[in-house]
Amino acid sequence: MIELSHVSKTYPGTIAPAVGDLSLAVPAGETVVLVGPSGCGKTTTLKMINRLIEPTSGTITVGGRNVFDIAAHDLRREIGYVIQQIGLFPHRTIADNIATVPRLLGWDKQRTTRRVAELTELVDLDEEMLPRYPAELSGGQRQRVGVARALAADPPVLLMDEPFGAVDPIVRARLQDELVDLQARLRKTIVLVTHDIDEAIKLGDRVAILDVGGVLEQYAPPADLLRDPANEFVADFLGSDRGIKRLSLIPVSSVELIDGPVLGQGASRDDAEAMMRRFEIDWVAVGGDGTLAGWLGRDDLAGRDDISGITLRPFRTRLDVTDSLKEALDAVISSHTAVAAVFERDRYVGMITTEAISREIVQ
Amino acid sequence: MMLLLAQVESQPFFRWDWVFRNLDDIWDRTVEHVMLTLIAVTVGFVISLGLSLVAIRWRRAYSPITWATGIMYTIPSLALFAFLLPITGLSVLTAEIGLVSYTLLILIRNIVAGVDGVPPDVLESATGMGYTARRRFLEIELPLALPVIIAGIRIASVTVIGLVTVTALIGFGGYGFFILRGLGLFYSSIGTTQIIVGTVLSVTLAVSVDLGLAATERALTPWARKKVPA
Repeated sequence: MIELSHVSKTYPGTIAPAVGDLSLAVPAGETVVLVGPSGCGKTTTLKMINRLIEPTSGTITVGGRNVFDIAAHDLRREIGYVIQQIGLFPHRTIADNIATVPRLLGWDKQRTTRRVAELTELVDLDEEMLPRYPAELSGGQRQRVGVARALAADPPVLLMDEPFGAVDPIVRARLQDELVDLQARLRKTIVLVTHDIDEAIKLGDRVAILDVGGVLEQYAPPADLLRDPANEFVADFLGSDRGIKRLSLIPVSSVELIDGPVLGQGASRDDAEAMMRRFEIDWVAVGGDGTLAGWLGRDDLAGRDDISGITLRPFRTRLDVTDSLKEALDAVISSHTAVAAVFERDRYVGMITTEAISREIVQ
Repeated sequence: MMLLLAQVESQPFFRWDWVFRNLDDIWDRTVEHVMLTLIAVTVGFVISLGLSLVAIRWRRAYSPITWATGIMYTIPSLALFAFLLPITGLSVLTAEIGLVSYTLLILIRNIVAGVDGVPPDVLESATGMGYTARRRFLEIELPLALPVIIAGIRIASVTVIGLVTVTALIGFGGYGFFILRGLGLFYSSIGTTQIIVGTVLSVTLAVSVDLGLAATERALTPWARKKVPA
């Protein structure tokens, strides 16, 4: 969808190129994140795609067309653009801000109004915001408007330059989640620049790690980067907790679950004690046939012949097979029983242990 | 001397009867004052906008432009009219050349400062979404510069309203006509009455125009007074 071929940019008055001989292909419908330290040319690279910066050499195509064959302003109207400071027009209402590109394209009023309403819903913005001015909105709301405005003319490509850099961490996490949801529905071709490796891992289908001077060190899906960094620079950049970071990308369903110490409702005290011995633990779970009623401890067995009359304690952490191993690890280490029960919707499917998780890290 | 003072005291200080006898004349001079001001500020604004565009496009031109208009601003108005008389005579043109030349520095500075004050992220997003340079200037930069530009128009208008009185020396003057004539009759109450009428009306006009423009600014820039409460 977007193809950079031997692109370089040397700013006037400098000798070292900001970007030197960069080739990169961004497949249609994917989110590619450009990440790297400051001076790595990630923003320069992004801005060369919509010609806010003209490359010194090389070619760039978007949707098969050479960007230099199209008038810059026409090209930009087909490419959504979101920047860190958002750059909403302070003198225009939110509705008018969102309608910016449709207006530039000369859409009629009815079509524009309909589209603005659609986008308001898409980015989960309160309709009451539409007649207001940007100064009246919070940072998070402004950022949503920025995204709505970029999507207004339904461009196939979206360029985002540190889009969540100016909001606080809580709002940032929420906006990131929203972008993931939005992208799952819209399947745009997104190029996003960030200096935050965690954001890159969270948002990117592929991540391009750049070093100073626009040198592409590695370009791969996040899970591959974390499992197999190409060199020391990439490994350093990913951080020492790369194993744990990788866990956030792997679903619980991909590891082997154990059946766990589960007894049927009618089991005897001897069955329970045998089970505890076998697993070297002092508790057993009670359930069966896809259900899990709860668990009981060794103390609960005192003075009983079977387990039927014992009040069971509930499993406080329940995992779904779609949850990540990072969430599983958190559940396991913070649970009393050192395992976490895993469900597929409401059906009990097994238990996950720290061993299973660490096996995945070492792999 | 004693006699003169006694004579002044014997008459009322302000002659309302003169005012009522000359209402038509006062109205004509009001129209003249307003027209001279309106033409000066309008022409001054058009010239200033042109020169500002040049200064914004070619930054190196800004310094010579402010230098030249700054010199115009410092020439005493009396001297300027004296200098122009042999060339343009006792004409409206002479009056307006003088008046316009005092608006340029103020207006150019405010237009350029206003446009420069537009936040860079707004410009970047405008260009990034496909605004052409011309359309961006007209639809984004100019409206956002409006508060500063109107501030300039307010100062220029007030300045011109004061200066119009000086054009009485070349046969115009608006309210200045009464002031000049009053000065010639200084020891009579008819004279002082005319000085007071000319001065008070000129000041009143300046204040009204200033307030009117301030209200216009508020009406044109509704976004500027909306701020998030929390």
